[in-house]
Amino acid sequence: MKHLITQGVLGVLTLSIVVISVSSWTSSAARRADAVRSVGEGQKVAVAAVADEGYCSAELKVILRRVLTSCGLIKEGQVSRGCEPLQAKNVAAMSGADFNALFRPLADRAAIIQFDQGKTELDASAIDFLDRTFSDQRGASYFFVVSRASPDGSTETNRTLSEGRANAVLAHLRQRFNDPDLDKEVGLLWLGEEFAQLEDEYCGWKRSRGDQPCSAAELNRSAFIAWIDCRL
Amino acid sequence: MENKAHPALLVLFTVFAAIGVAFTAVSTHDYIAHLDRQVHSVSCSALPGLGTPDSTGESGCYAVMMSPYSALMRDVTWGGIPIALLGLSVFAYLVFLGLSMLLRRAPGRPEEMGYMVAAASLPVLTSIYYWYISVAEIGTVCTNCGGIYLASFGCLGAAIGLFVVARRSPDPERPHGLAWPLYMGQFVLGVVFVFVPLFFYLGIKPMVSTAISRCGELLQPEDKYRIQIPLGGSVGGTPAIEIIDPLCPACKGFKDRLRSSDFDSKLSLTGVLFPLDKTCNWMLSESPHPGACQVSQAVLCAGNNASAVIDWALLNNEKLRALGASDPAKLDATIREQFPAVANCIGKPAVKAQINKSLRWLVANAVPIMTPQLYIRGKRLCAEDSDLGLEFALSQLIAGTSVAARTQEVPQ
Repeated sequence: MKHLITQGVLGVLTLSIVVISVSSWTSSAARRADAVRSVGEGQKVAVAAVADEGYCSAELKVILRRVLTSCGLIKEGQVSRGCEPLQAKNVAAMSGADFNALFRPLADRAAIIQFDQGKTELDASAIDFLDRTFSDQRGASYFFVVSRASPDGSTETNRTLSEGRANAVLAHLRQRFNDPDLDKEVGLLWLGEEFAQLEDEYCGWKRSRGDQPCSAAELNRSAFIAWIDCRL
Repeated sequence: MENKAHPALLVLFTVFAAIGVAFTAVSTHDYIAHLDRQVHSVSCSALPGLGTPDSTGESGCYAVMMSPYSALMRDVTWGGIPIALLGLSVFAYLVFLGLSMLLRRAPGRPEEMGYMVAAASLPVLTSIYYWYISVAEIGTVCTNCGGIYLASFGCLGAAIGLFVVARRSPDPERPHGLAWPLYMGQFVLGVVFVFVPLFFYLGIKPMVSTAISRCGELLQPEDKYRIQIPLGGSVGGTPAIEIIDPLCPACKGFKDRLRSSDFDSKLSLTGVLFPLDKTCNWMLSESPHPGACQVSQAVLCAGNNASAVIDWALLNNEKLRALGASDPAKLDATIREQFPAVANCIGKPAVKAQINKSLRWLVANAVPIMTPQLYIRGKRLCAEDSDLGLEFALSQLIAGTSVAARTQEVPQ
């Protein structure tokens, strides 16, 4: 009998040590889990987002939003897209020089696709430039195509010519990249000869005919293309 | 001749059992500490509980603890039932048996000694099984486990010695009769030793069912950019999307963990690339995984062979990351040499645009900037559930149960 009592006490004692230890460790983990949960619910983690570079000033964003809205990028269900010269001028509500100045911060992101006089076809070098520039989207949300024509010929002809150049760029992108977001990303402005002609200073920018002489006339037979790294 | 159990052997038996208690207690403590879903250091020393704790996860003890073999019923309850806890109970019971005999100071009957042999055989058989698992499946043997193996074999050796001594010293006064009642009584006591701590453990342990569904979900999971890549699994399995960086060491660990849990066969797994390399990923100012953009291009270029490229990259992730940081041109050459079929594709605008679309898919879904991530039916597996709680969390997400309605909730 004495042995049974001894054995019973010993058993209870041994078992109790195990149970108390396990219970203590487990309840401690449960308390910590509750504490972590309550802290964790208020925490924010970094999430994937589009780019918003330093040059995206409030002023630039206002202009971009106005251009994008008026030129059919942001509005849903627009059949026609793009802005004609007068429209662009009104929308931008600024001089041609100020309009061009908006794009100065994009020197590293932009390219100038050059065309032959009176032509709207992309040559091999233009296609290569266009492909490389468009595939370097990074976190940008909008791709601007601003096409122009040199002042040779009539205003009407140049307007049509610049529209054709903008559309040639869009058609190539549509065919090459099969991007379902293309219509939401690409904004077209064709300026003809009437608004925001490029000055010689842009000869130093990346051009599809960078190995050829550059004058204002050659520079404006072009489509200026750039991804805009702004979050609107 | 007096038929007494040899005191020295009894002491030896008890000491080995106590050693077993010490090692299993340390392992149990470390395991239970992780039930808060956080990362803790683990003790991995020949002197149980002493020595420098492993806070980097490089020790064998950590690898064994995080393996799917360290617990039972992991798909039923978060973290499951740790084997170490059962081991602790068994060794505590053996300590009790040894002390009980020592305190009794009465003749040891061969039947009792035979029972001790049987009882000590359980940890030995378990040790043999787990040693095999450690070597063959996990590829490492932990120090704590070594201590438990030593204690197991020590107990069995002492018990066999006690049995032999008892058999050689027949006591004419000892009661003769069936040993089964004795065995059954002791067995029931052993069961009590195992189940009472288990009951307390299950009753107190944190329940995390609600937290499992609170780690976010995909907003636009459809593959409109055609950037998702097949990663295997079963054809009719639950649809799952893994966000992966081919040079991410954690992705390699997660892939192995998923495979060893057998849950990969229950999923129809597709991948979305998230290279954590600033050369193509504008969301980063530094590159945690340099070279990941180049390798990601190869993955997309490989088409149906994409998972082979990922497997290769994950296997060699350390070497490839070093190349990506020091010599991107050499990394490019290595990729081309390994996968000649993609040589004409990598670096081209089309595949660069695809990488960008992959990143834009992640933007559209507002996913956290980290890899790996697994989404089951669009719901994210919490990072905290990717080790000890993996099986339970996956079971819950696959079943798609309304976790809020479950009764297994956070205790109030």
